[in-house]
Amino acid sequence: MSIIEVKNLKKYYQVHKKEPGLVGSLKSLVKREYRDVKAVDNISFSIGEGELVGFIGPNGAGKTTTLKCLSGLLYPTGGKVSVLGYTPWERKPEFQKQFALVMGQKNQLWWDLPAMESFILNKEIYEVPDKKYKKTLGELVRLLDVKDILKVQVRKLSLGQRMKCELIAALLHSPKILFLDEPTIGLDVVMQKKMRDFIKDYNRKYHSTIILTSHYMGDVQELCERVIIIDRGKIVFDGALAEIVEKYADHKIISVVFAKEVDPKKLAEIGKVKDYDFPTATFSIKREMASVAAAQLLQKFPIADLNIEETSIEDIIREVFTGKDHA
Amino acid sequence: MPKRNLRKYLQVLKTTFQEYFVYRVNFIMWRVRSIIRLLAVYFLWLAIFRRNQELFGYNQQLILTYVLGTSVVRALTLASRSVDVGGEIASGALSNYLLKPVNYFFYWFSRDITDKLFNSGFVLVEVSLIIWLLKPPLFLQTNPFYLLTFLVAILLAMILYFFLSFLVSMTTFWSVEHGGWPARFLFMVILNFLAGGLFPLDVLPRPVFTFFRALPSTYLLFFPLQVYLGRLSYVAVFGGFGIMILWLLVLNFLVKIVWQKGLRVYEAYGH
Repeated sequence: MSIIEVKNLKKYYQVHKKEPGLVGSLKSLVKREYRDVKAVDNISFSIGEGELVGFIGPNGAGKTTTLKCLSGLLYPTGGKVSVLGYTPWERKPEFQKQFALVMGQKNQLWWDLPAMESFILNKEIYEVPDKKYKKTLGELVRLLDVKDILKVQVRKLSLGQRMKCELIAALLHSPKILFLDEPTIGLDVVMQKKMRDFIKDYNRKYHSTIILTSHYMGDVQELCERVIIIDRGKIVFDGALAEIVEKYADHKIISVVFAKEVDPKKLAEIGKVKDYDFPTATFSIKREMASVAAAQLLQKFPIADLNIEETSIEDIIREVFTGKDHA
Repeated sequence: MPKRNLRKYLQVLKTTFQEYFVYRVNFIMWRVRSIIRLLAVYFLWLAIFRRNQELFGYNQQLILTYVLGTSVVRALTLASRSVDVGGEIASGALSNYLLKPVNYFFYWFSRDITDKLFNSGFVLVEVSLIIWLLKPPLFLQTNPFYLLTFLVAILLAMILYFFLSFLVSMTTFWSVEHGGWPARFLFMVILNFLAGGLFPLDVLPRPVFTFFRALPSTYLLFFPLQVYLGRLSYVAVFGGFGIMILWLLVLNFLVKIVWQKGLRVYEAYGH
């Protein structure tokens, strides 16, 4: 049974154009020209209870705009949205008590007070009964291991610690639906991992529905079975993650730093050279050939440093959208 | 308001209270500024009345009471935290509240109450010190009618100012520059003059004063003090309340409309 239903959702922004320079500024004072930016352009999807869906796409693709429409922050230009049977932008308190939106780049905690104070305030705002509050808080604090920092001023916390507290603040009312916008942004790898583990556990344990946006392939790979790829306001893929990785992320990126100058022609023997600018070079190599290529590189060239990486999520998306562009 | 809701806003008030202990330096600076302003106006009027026994229908005792009185009333009616609303709209922090089952207006009014409590606590100490050190002749109102209506006037003025201030903050929906501070600053300077913060408004020429009486600003400082000083007839006091209530209705309506329109253009800036 689907609890999020989106039909032909559109959100256009009006942005005013200004010609460069002072004359342009003066002109725009008198007459402003507007142009529509289609942040979300006619998208439809539905999400069932307990699903953990990854929402991916490049910057400005419309991910955040979609989440904002789903959580009632934005009035759409057109289309229908139903979340838990409510129309989000009517902002009914009964609806608001059942979801949470966490934005990695924004905070709701009171900056100058310990996180605990924000928790207490949220408890009252969401009208969580004392007993339930204590139980939920206890669990979350244990799961995220933040017992020692609850009484420290939020401004003095590290980004990772703060993100954990942000999550707690958002989860105290046990939301049925959780929107996570870039929850791991700026975090170090250890913290990213912890965050992912937590999200996974939370989804499993409470059977809550989670939509997550991220730039990190890792987040999506580890967490989501289903992904929705959105680019320039349109959905370009909606389906199982396994399918997309197999289909599109079939190349790895090898980047090297040479110790000495090398003949660029010889590099082509290894595989497709994406970029060469001494002392660095990057290759795009078929997944199964990546280790062979790396070994060859190390053997044949004076290498100072070598890295094998997944194709970046942006690259995959670009491929999905524009079709294959590499060998 | 149901009891559960009351608990929400009481908690907002309490949390804000704690914030003030963190901001203590900032707050003390603000009080120092207030004291300097008070002393400047105080000594100015003292000098003027050294030469004159009576001026504009005021004697020295009344005018000094007025000056010290504005300082106290100001802490109750004009003190507010909601000046930050413009900043929240501009930065997009407003989104945090739009997601939650909380009324943004009650939320900020609760924060304002904390600010008023702090400021009036301090102002009482300051004014007591000034009275103790400078021993100015003061007018003590003993008529219960005026004392009671004085309190009612202050209560109405609090809400009146809240609406006015919120309207100014909401201009940020349309012009996000500097978190709305240009408009806010202009508003504060003009308001201090229009509310009677520098001098009692009835020293102005008759036609100007008559016009001012129709403005809401007059009722923020000047009117409550006129009531306290007993310079108005009973009828005039109720007449003043009438104008205040009229303005409250108009402003309440305006705030609602502007808020609805503002939210429509609010595109959750700052990401």
